[in-house]
Amino acid sequence: MQNLNIESSRWTTFNNFIVIAVSLYGFAVQSYREEEISFFQKVIIELTAPLQSGTSSVQVSVTDAFDHYVKIVNTSRENALLKKKISSLNSTIFDLKEVQQENERLKQLLEFGEVIPKKKVLAQVISMDSANEFKVLRINKGEAHGLKLMSPVITMTGLVGYVYRLSANYSDILTILDQNNRVDAIVTRTRTHGIVEGDAKHELKFKYVARTDDVELEDIVITAGLGEIYPKGIKIGTISSIDKKNSGITQKISIEPSVDFHKLEEVLVLIEGEAGDVAKKDLPLGDGISEKSSEEEIK
Amino acid sequence: MKYSIQEISLGLLKTILLLLVLEIVTTAVLPMFDITSFKPNFNILIVLFLAFKLNTPLLAFIILIVQYVHSAFSIEGWAMGTFTGVFISVLVQYIKDQLNFSSAASTIIVVQIFQLIWIVIGTVMLCFKMEDFSSFLTLMWHHVPESIFLSILSPFFFRLLDGFWHVNRRSSGVAY
Repeated sequence: MQNLNIESSRWTTFNNFIVIAVSLYGFAVQSYREEEISFFQKVIIELTAPLQSGTSSVQVSVTDAFDHYVKIVNTSRENALLKKKISSLNSTIFDLKEVQQENERLKQLLEFGEVIPKKKVLAQVISMDSANEFKVLRINKGEAHGLKLMSPVITMTGLVGYVYRLSANYSDILTILDQNNRVDAIVTRTRTHGIVEGDAKHELKFKYVARTDDVELEDIVITAGLGEIYPKGIKIGTISSIDKKNSGITQKISIEPSVDFHKLEEVLVLIEGEAGDVAKKDLPLGDGISEKSSEEEIK
Repeated sequence: MKYSIQEISLGLLKTILLLLVLEIVTTAVLPMFDITSFKPNFNILIVLFLAFKLNTPLLAFIILIVQYVHSAFSIEGWAMGTFTGVFISVLVQYIKDQLNFSSAASTIIVVQIFQLIWIVIGTVMLCFKMEDFSSFLTLMWHHVPESIFLSILSPFFFRLLDGFWHVNRRSSGVAY
């Protein structure tokens, strides 16, 4: 019996050693810039993402049912039928308003998308990253829709981030609020150059701007187009605070992102190639893209 | 008493299904109600349970599988959590006799202590990776509210996992 325990203990030690070594190696080679996901991870994502996506439609149904319940409880017996009809009509109006709002959002996205000379794929945000340290969103479009690693992601109001990892039908977006995401940026008014980074509090910082550079509150910051990820001229946000008091050679600048990340529902993924390359069902915004220069886009 | 491969497979399958449900709740259901900053790491609670209660040489591989499933829902990846989980399981081996799960309160306290150890190790590794220790305290603080929530939940959660792994049938004196 004692021999069995010693044998088991040796196996435990050996296994612990192997797994610790493998995990340390995995940690060393892991990149927070982009990630090729394994076959098994793809399978897990493909199987569970529809459930993540389905929760939003469940929410609409539950809200709808709850609305009906509250209305019906307060209805007197005499006009129950009438109130039910009103309730039903209200529900229809509510649904129509939702559709109208969605249409307006999509229309605005379409109009905004026309000035970006790239092919676009419309996607819906279905979930967020499960760890607090990372500001990552999952969308319902992937490799099958033409998305590639590092494809930039935008909305009509500005820059969201880029595709960090992707499976066949879903992708994870590393947003600009994440501290692993860095964006080359310029101030539109003065063309002052700097790097926009997220921080641990998920706030945007505009770094490496010299103390002598002319930057003011409410100045608009856009992508500089110097990196390989983002095209030039996409709005990032406006400068919300400037601190020149620190003793360093740079200023401490915060940016208010132009995208409201708490209310993000749809995004556009910019991909390389002509609009006709991808199936029409996958490219609701892909037609009629103008070929304006980057300078025009900034204006 | 050791686990057979069949018992481990079954227990692991149930545990992974539970993890999948909880990950979907964290990543999709909570944001639906505008809860975007509160993300309980249920994978930590599962790994702590395994470290506390499972007596098998395959424990390190079981932790690896749990973390691998978790990595499909977070860009954190599998490696950091696996290292931390196995490190904690080794630590637990040395002090197993001193750990007390006889009441809900003691379970909560033990789970909170080990969660704090996990958070410290995880944050140090993340800061190393990002080559930036300036946000160490901020990153750590992010986890504290969730860790308290998970600790309070742990007596019930462990009871559920006890059923998956038939812990009470194997050992006596374990109650919450």
